[in-house]
Amino acid sequence: MDIQTQLQALAAEAEAALAGVAGTNELAELKAKYLGKKGPFAEFMNQMKSLPNEEKPRFGALVNDAKNALTARFEAKRITLEEAAVAAKLAGEAVDVTLPGRSVPSGVRHLLTRTIEEIEDLFVGMGYAVMEGPEIEQDLYNFEMLNLPKSHPARDMQDSFYISEELLLRTHTSPVQVRTLLEAGGNKPVKIICPGKVYRRDDDDMTHSHQFMQVEALVVDHDVTLADLKGTLLVLARKMFGEDRQIRLRPSFFPFTEPSVEVDVTCHKCNGKGCPMCKGSGWIEILGAGMVNDAVLEATGYDPKTYQGFALGMGVERIAILRHGIDDIRNFYTNDLRFNRQFR
Amino acid sequence: MRVSLNWLRELVDVPVDAVSLVKKFNLMSAEVESHEPMTTATGLAVGHVLSCDPHPDSDHLHVCIVDVGGERLQIVCGADNVAAGQKVVVALDGAVLPGDLRIKRSKIRGVESNGMICSLDELGIDRKYHQEDGIHVLPATAQPGSDPLKTLCFDDEVIELDLTPNRGDLLSMMGVACDVAAMLDGRTTFLLPSVREDHARNGLTVASESPDCRSYYARVIKGVRIAESPAWMKARLIAGGIRPINNVVDVTNYVMLETGQPLHAFDYDKIGTGRIVVRAAGADAVFVTLDGKERTLLSDDLVITDGIRPIALAGVMGGRDTEVGETTTNILLESAVFDPIRIRKTSKRLDLRSEASIRFERGLDPARTKLACDRAAALFAELAGGRVLAGVSVYESQDIRSHPVALSIAKLNAVTGRVYDAAAIADVWKRLGFESVEKDGVFTVMVPTRRPDIRTYQDLIEEAVRISGYHLIPTSLHAAAFNGSLTELQRMRRRIRQTLCALGLDEVVTYSLVPPAEAVLFDAVAAPAVRLLHPMTEERSDLRHSLVPSLLDVLEYNLKRKAENVRLFELGKSYSLSGETELVAGVLTGNCQESIWQRRSEPYDFFAVKGLLEALFATLSVPGVRYLKPSAGHALLHPGVCAELRVGDRPLGIVGKLHPNAAAARDLPDAYVFELRLGVLFEASKPNLTMREIARFPAVKRDIAVVVDREVDAATLIAAIARAGGKTLADISVFDVYEGAGIDAGKKSIALSLTFQEYSKTLETAEIDQLVARLVKALGQETNAVLRT
Repeated sequence: MDIQTQLQALAAEAEAALAGVAGTNELAELKAKYLGKKGPFAEFMNQMKSLPNEEKPRFGALVNDAKNALTARFEAKRITLEEAAVAAKLAGEAVDVTLPGRSVPSGVRHLLTRTIEEIEDLFVGMGYAVMEGPEIEQDLYNFEMLNLPKSHPARDMQDSFYISEELLLRTHTSPVQVRTLLEAGGNKPVKIICPGKVYRRDDDDMTHSHQFMQVEALVVDHDVTLADLKGTLLVLARKMFGEDRQIRLRPSFFPFTEPSVEVDVTCHKCNGKGCPMCKGSGWIEILGAGMVNDAVLEATGYDPKTYQGFALGMGVERIAILRHGIDDIRNFYTNDLRFNRQFR
Repeated sequence: MRVSLNWLRELVDVPVDAVSLVKKFNLMSAEVESHEPMTTATGLAVGHVLSCDPHPDSDHLHVCIVDVGGERLQIVCGADNVAAGQKVVVALDGAVLPGDLRIKRSKIRGVESNGMICSLDELGIDRKYHQEDGIHVLPATAQPGSDPLKTLCFDDEVIELDLTPNRGDLLSMMGVACDVAAMLDGRTTFLLPSVREDHARNGLTVASESPDCRSYYARVIKGVRIAESPAWMKARLIAGGIRPINNVVDVTNYVMLETGQPLHAFDYDKIGTGRIVVRAAGADAVFVTLDGKERTLLSDDLVITDGIRPIALAGVMGGRDTEVGETTTNILLESAVFDPIRIRKTSKRLDLRSEASIRFERGLDPARTKLACDRAAALFAELAGGRVLAGVSVYESQDIRSHPVALSIAKLNAVTGRVYDAAAIADVWKRLGFESVEKDGVFTVMVPTRRPDIRTYQDLIEEAVRISGYHLIPTSLHAAAFNGSLTELQRMRRRIRQTLCALGLDEVVTYSLVPPAEAVLFDAVAAPAVRLLHPMTEERSDLRHSLVPSLLDVLEYNLKRKAENVRLFELGKSYSLSGETELVAGVLTGNCQESIWQRRSEPYDFFAVKGLLEALFATLSVPGVRYLKPSAGHALLHPGVCAELRVGDRPLGIVGKLHPNAAAARDLPDAYVFELRLGVLFEASKPNLTMREIARFPAVKRDIAVVVDREVDAATLIAAIARAGGKTLADISVFDVYEGAGIDAGKKSIALSLTFQEYSKTLETAEIDQLVARLVKALGQETNAVLRT
């Protein structure tokens, strides 16, 4: 048999043996058998020594090519086997991804908190500071310095919880405005919002709560105008109720502002066409506002000849009720988690 | 204020429909609360009952033949008072009555009925305006077939205005008419009353001894006959929200609705003296008002007297002894102005708020006091056959001239941010009926007495803006730049909320007012809570010291509704007269780790809750919080599973397990609570501002286990090790605690992991061995701890 035939026979035999290999150990053994030091190729190299010199190159090339080819076949087989092993391992590790995840509880902020923070962020972005004050307040700050002397009929608008003759639970966050103005000393501009809890003598029902949250805003400077108030209200209305909203002002009365206005926003449910939400009018009343009454400026040490300002005040529950279609104000204070957790 | 549209149209030009008028009111004057017809009934006709016979198959029904104008209808009627010859209101076949009651031809117990004879109730007239049972009987002059709503003067619409306290001027039809004239640029038509006086003179004298009486006008009318008022007057009173009584009372109320001036009619014959003296009640301590109730007076309550005894509580209510009744023939008519604050105090104290007292409180137009007196006298003559005695008895101390208020156009523009021109402003004053002159850009406006609310230039600005229109005001934003930002405390509150939410707690907001017992329930030592002077209920009477009881209420509420693993927190205040303390409190129950297909559930225990707090303190950069056994017992907490928290020596709060008794009392499962002072957290918060070097040499860990007496707590061990370990000992943590087999009774084994770190070199094993030996020795000396081998 010539060398070519022998090599072909050897390749065919090795190929047949490779086909039956299932594991990497078996493959290593087989590789040692064919390509190892005592294998057939070592034998061929011995044979070459006895050949005439002119035949050696061809013989050598044939043997080397055959050896390289077989080595490549073993390498290919090794890769195939390893890949199969990895695939089998991975297949064994597969999980049912539709099973539930292990729960990591995550709580929710209260809707009132969320709403207040949203309003705070809007105003802070416009340069307002956030001011706070006590809830047990002096009649002086809650009423008298706000142009509400004792026995003023407008005190009926805010029936109060008194603690003593001179102390009460604040009925609005306006006393924080008074305290801030007094603190500022009559010669500095003031630009603040005052969020917080307030209390009024109301029986709790679907639309009334003896405790609720307010956010008020106050700007006092030399040149603050009603137009500035209207512009600010428009920004607020659009932030809270959507970019397409319009507002309108209607005459109203608060002792601490003059002129005083009620602010309506176009209904966000029907876009002003009229629906049950806005009782067919297309408008929803959202808050009260006005230009600071000179009496308040004077009481807090500001000269109304050189300073003027605006103030606005909203009920946070009302804003949230309108935005989220809440049917009963008591939901905010019952804290049924099935309610609280709806608003993340 | 309820405004009759028919009446309004008599007083002012209203060239628009009711819907447009309502819109104008809303945008320019006062908010419209409601707008509706006096009755929504349709399909009505005046009927003449020709015959009325008993129903053959009923003991209370009648079968009537009714002429409804050219047609005779058989109608079955159940009313007791129906009778032949009456003129009645018939709802014809197809009529719709209020409440969507549809009238159809039908058979009632076998007898055909072609309509219904109506009562006032069925026309939708509220019971507060009438007491009629049975069908309503019309005057004999009513024409069969005509519209009975016209006969009754019910063919009217009512616009109800929700008035703010400053607009007392709109508590009269005349005042509303003036504002409508301004809104619509129309004209008012007020007829001046003409009184035909008798020859006989009124010999009455009127005086006041109190500054609280501003003016007092009185007339005497003799020979009145008490009777029912005519339909038009009754209808207008009903439209105005007042129940018709009799012609004398009705006239006083009608003129009050018209002019805003409350009037009072006394039975003149019951005033013996012919004198009226207004004065403070003084020594007169009790007075019986016309509702028969005995009222206790304060010495400064204002009373009307006959010179001897009180006959009325000024502005609030008349007296029983001088009340007008069925037999009254001679009347003393009072038209007066009293101090608003005086009236407000008395009426509020006695809980006697009336249409009259509200008007006194809001302020009257002094120019209408005499006008109202004359108007009522004229109506007494016209409707009750009275003779008005000559002369008005008067006490008057009021200024009834217009008062000037100045407003410059420059100021108006500066305040509104809009440029107004002088002509437009002058037009506003003209429409309002205010005389004005302009000089050098300054308007001097003569404000009539009917508008006492207008006192300053700001009040004039409001008038100018509302009458010219708020829609004309442009929008702008105040341009000055300010440093708007949250304070550190405000930012910390937000971080606390975010952290606790991220740790799985839900935020709640509860009421600050709680029952008295609950207000102090979580106090270690009961201190009195701040209590309201006049609570509405005992449930909301005291200001709470702690948030925990309210959180337990919310927990109980949610558990009853099958919620599981309830974790709640709240930020709120503790209240006392010396100040308000901000708190953050929480309650946790159920599992901190849910059972799921792979794992077992893990219930909350003390250390799970402590771990949450430690995560919170880490987030807030609050180091060195100490947990101590409470110094005082805490009724709500398990005595062995609770800790007082301190930062340095400052009390920070408390954490612990709800006492089993407290839990059982509310049927609650195991629960853990905490309450921290926000102010202490804030002051203890020390966020790092300067970078610290990162160690370049490896840290070395060593674990040791020591056996100590059971009573020695971990903090004591750690403190002793820390003192001995010095700078090199970077961290100490407990990783195991063991009692039981292999450890003597009364002892425990604590395993600690120690981390050593040097910044300048790598620590050698020998050095660490030495350090550990020193630590163990120190521990032995301080705590009797022995290295466990």
